[in-house]
Amino acid sequence: MNAWIYEKRRLLLGVAAVILFFLVWEVIFSGLVKLNPLFMSKPSLIWSGFMYDLKSGKVLFELMVSVRPFLFGFIAAVVVGIVVGTFMGWRQKVGYALDPLMTALYASPLVAVAPLVIIIFGVGVPGKTFLIFVLSVFPFIFNTYAGVKAVDQLLVNVVRSMGGNDKDIYFKVIVPSVLPYIIAGGRYAIGRALVGILVGEFYAASAGIGYMIAFYGDMYAIDRMFAYILIMMVIAVAFTEGIRWAERAAFPWRVGM
Amino acid sequence: MSSYISAENINLTFRPKNREAVTALSEFNIDIEQGQFVSIVGPSGCGKSTFLNVLLGLIPPNTGVMSVNGRTVTGPGTDRAMVFQEFGLLPWRTVAHNVELGLELQGVAKGPRRETCQGFIKMVGLTGFENHYPHELSGGMKQRVGLARALASDPDVLLMDEPFAALDAQTRDIMQAELLRIWHEAKKTVLFVTHQIEEAVYLSDHVIVMTKRPGRTKKLVPIDLPRPRDYEMRVSPRFNELKLEIWNELKDELSVGGDEDSGHA
Amino acid sequence: MATSTVEPSTYIAPPPAEETYYEAHEPTILGGGFILAVFAVWELYPAIFGLSKGMKLFFATPSDIIAALYSLLILNEKLPMVGTIWQHFNASTGTFLFGLGLSIIVALPLGVVLGRSQTVDAMFDPFITAFNATPRLVFLPIVLIWFGVGFWTVIAIVFLGAVFPLLINTYAGVKNADKLLINVVRSFGANEWQINKLVVLPNSLPFIIAGLRLAIGRAILGVVVAEFFGGTEFGLGVIMVQASQSYRVDILFAVLIIFMVVSLLITAAVKQIENRLSRWRPAKIKTF
Ligand SMILES: Nc1ncnc2c1ncn2[C@@H]1O[C@H](COP(=O)(O)OP(=O)(O)OP(=O)(O)O)[C@@H](O)[C@H]1O
Ligand SMILES: [Mg+2]
Repeated sequence: MNAWIYEKRRLLLGVAAVILFFLVWEVIFSGLVKLNPLFMSKPSLIWSGFMYDLKSGKVLFELMVSVRPFLFGFIAAVVVGIVVGTFMGWRQKVGYALDPLMTALYASPLVAVAPLVIIIFGVGVPGKTFLIFVLSVFPFIFNTYAGVKAVDQLLVNVVRSMGGNDKDIYFKVIVPSVLPYIIAGGRYAIGRALVGILVGEFYAASAGIGYMIAFYGDMYAIDRMFAYILIMMVIAVAFTEGIRWAERAAFPWRVGM
Repeated sequence: MSSYISAENINLTFRPKNREAVTALSEFNIDIEQGQFVSIVGPSGCGKSTFLNVLLGLIPPNTGVMSVNGRTVTGPGTDRAMVFQEFGLLPWRTVAHNVELGLELQGVAKGPRRETCQGFIKMVGLTGFENHYPHELSGGMKQRVGLARALASDPDVLLMDEPFAALDAQTRDIMQAELLRIWHEAKKTVLFVTHQIEEAVYLSDHVIVMTKRPGRTKKLVPIDLPRPRDYEMRVSPRFNELKLEIWNELKDELSVGGDEDSGHA
Repeated sequence: MATSTVEPSTYIAPPPAEETYYEAHEPTILGGGFILAVFAVWELYPAIFGLSKGMKLFFATPSDIIAALYSLLILNEKLPMVGTIWQHFNASTGTFLFGLGLSIIVALPLGVVLGRSQTVDAMFDPFITAFNATPRLVFLPIVLIWFGVGFWTVIAIVFLGAVFPLLINTYAGVKNADKLLINVVRSFGANEWQINKLVVLPNSLPFIIAGLRLAIGRAILGVVVAEFFGGTEFGLGVIMVQASQSYRVDILFAVLIIFMVVSLLITAAVKQIENRLSRWRPAKIKTF
C-alpha cells in the first residue's frame, strides 16, 4: 500500500514537472522574452509545425524512410549477434578466439567508420543498414555470450537428473537463462542503432527523420526542427522504456536478482 | 550382489582446469538394502555430495562400479531423485512449476501433474505460495520446494543432501516426522546426508560415518531403536549412546587447522 | 545445441595429463592468434586474389595502415589535409577533457541531490530518462545554431554525451546507500555532511567510477561525431571525414586505430580502479 502511494506520488510529480516545463517554456517566450524565431521556438509553434507536416503526410513519409534501414540493420544485428554470442559461450575455444577482437571493436568508437561506409555503400538504404548493423551487433554478441556462460550448471544437472534430454535442457534451462541477457542487450543496441541512423542521415542523405532535423536546422526553421527532434525523442523513449517494461513483465523472477 | 544400492571401490578425482586435482572419493564402498533409511555423516568436503552425484548418475566415477537394483548406473534415471544442497530451483519458474518439473519431464499431462504436485506443496507447508518465484522465498522455503519436487516425481531412491540445513528448528522437526511418514508409506530407499548426528540417529536404520577427504566409509553404525520413532525417544539412554558412538568415530576426522582440509571447512 | 554445457566431462575434468604450455595459455594464444589471422587474411587477400579497380580505392592493407601510423605518429609528417596528426590529437584531447570535466562538475552534485531527495528525483526522472534514451547527436543541429560552428558546439555535444551516465550512476549509488548505515552514523550524532562523507560517498564511489567509464566512452564517441559535423579546423574526427573524402583509407584506419587504442587504454585503466574500489561489494549489485 505504501509502495503504491509512493509510486503514484512519483508518477504525479513527474507528470507535473513535464507539464510545468512546457508551460514555463511557453510563457517565457509569450511576452517575458522576445522570441527570435531563428534561434528559439516555443511549444505552441512546435505543435503547429508538427501538425502541418503531419497533415501533409510528411512525417509519415520521413519516418518510413528511416524505419526501413533501421529494421534491416537491427534484425541482422539480432540474428548475427545471437549466433556469434551463442557460439562463443557454447564452445570455449571460439570464445577465447573471438573475445579480444570483439572487445576491442566494442570499446572503440565504431561510428568513426561512418564516412568510409557511406563512401562505399552510398547514402541510401544499404549504407544506413550497414552502419546500424555494425553499431548494434556488439551488445547482442556480448550479452548472449555472457548469458550462455552464466547458465547455472546446477540447474542443468537438476533437469538431467530428472530424466531431461538435451532438448529439455535447451528449452527449460538455457533459453530462459539467456533470454533476459539478450533483451537487455537489445536495450543498449537500440540506442546505438539510433546513433547509426542519425549519423547516416546527417552525413549524407536526402530524406529521413535525421535528415529533416539537419535540413530544418540549415533552413533555420526552428519549430519544425524541434518537432522532429521531439519525434526522435519519443521514439527513443518508447523503444527503451518499452523494452524495460517488457523485461519486467516477461521476467518477473529477475526482480530479486 | 544382493544389496539394492551398492558402490564398489569407487575412486573419483576432480581435475579442475588450472587448479590442483582433488581426490574426493577413494576406494569408497557401500551396501544398502531396499527400503532402508541410511544417513551419511562426515566432515565438510569429504565427498558426501560427490557420492550422491555419482549415485544420481551425474558424475561418472574414474574407477569402480555404482549400481542400483542390480543395474549399473550409467546416467540419471527416474528411479532416483535428489534434494540438492544448493536447492537448484529454476529461478524463472514459480513454486508450482518447479515442483512439476519431474513429472513434466516424464511427460505427465498438465492436469494430473498439477493435482499431484498440489498435494506435495501442501505436505511441505507451502500452500498459498504456489505462484511465488524462488527469489521471494526464504532459504528454508526454497529447501522445501526442492523436497516437494523430488518427492513429486515418485522415485524409488530418494537422495537428500542436507535437506533440512536451512530450516528453523521447529520446521525441521515437522519435516523429519513427515519424511519418516512418507518413507514408511511409500517404501522408498532414502540416502540422507546431514551434519547433525542427532538427526541422523533419529531418522535412520544405519548411519555411515565417512573419513575426511578423500572420503571412504569409516564405520557403519546400525541404529537399533524401535520404530515408529517419536520425539521422546531422543532423550532415551540408547539414543544418547548411539549419538556418542557416532561422535567418537567422527571427531577423529574433524581436525581444525594444520591439515590439508582446513581450507575447505 | 546444448550438449557441451552439459557434458559431465566439462563438469569434472579431462583425463589426467600434465598441463601443457598451450593449455596454460589457451585464451591468449587463441585470442591473439585470431587477431593475427584476421590481419594476415586482410593483408594477403588483395595480393593473392586481386581487387577490382573500384575496391582498390577503398582498401588499405594493414601494412599500409602501419606505414601511415609510423609516418604520422613517429615521423610527425604533415598530413595531406592540414597540420600534423599530433596537432589534431591534442585538439581532440582538449575537447574530450573539457567536455568530460564539465559533465563531472555538473553530474556529481546534481546526482547527490537527486539521490537524497525523493521529490526532486521524481521531478527530474522523466527528463533524465528521455535524454538518456535519446542519442544526444539528435541535438547537434540546434546546438550548432545556438553555439555556432566550432569549439563550443563540439564541447556541448561531448558534455551532453557524458553527463547522463555519470548523473544516473551517481544518483543510483547515492540512492543505494544503506538506510541502516545512515541511521547508525546519525545515531552517533553525524550531520548531513558527515553522513555524505562517511556512508553515502564510499557507497556510491564504485557506482560513480562505473558511470565514469561509461561517460568516457560516450565522450569519445561525442568527440568523433561532433568533429564530423561541428566545423572545427582541428580534431581527429575532422581528419577522418577529410581522409574518407579524399580516399585516404590508410589515414582513416590509422586514426580509427588511434581511437581504439586510446579507448581501450582508458577503459582498462578505469576498470582497474573500479575493481579495486568495488572489492568490498558483493558481485551481485550490477551497475550499468
Ligand atoms: N566440480 C568440482 N570440481 C572440483 N572439485 C570439486 C567439485 N565438486 C567437489 N569438489 C571437491 O571435492 C571435495 C568433496 O566435495 P563434496 O561437495 O562432495 O563435499 P561434501 O562432503 O558434500 O561437503 P559439505 O558437507 O561441505 O557439503 C571438496 O574438496 C570439493 O572441493
Ligand atoms: Mg555437500
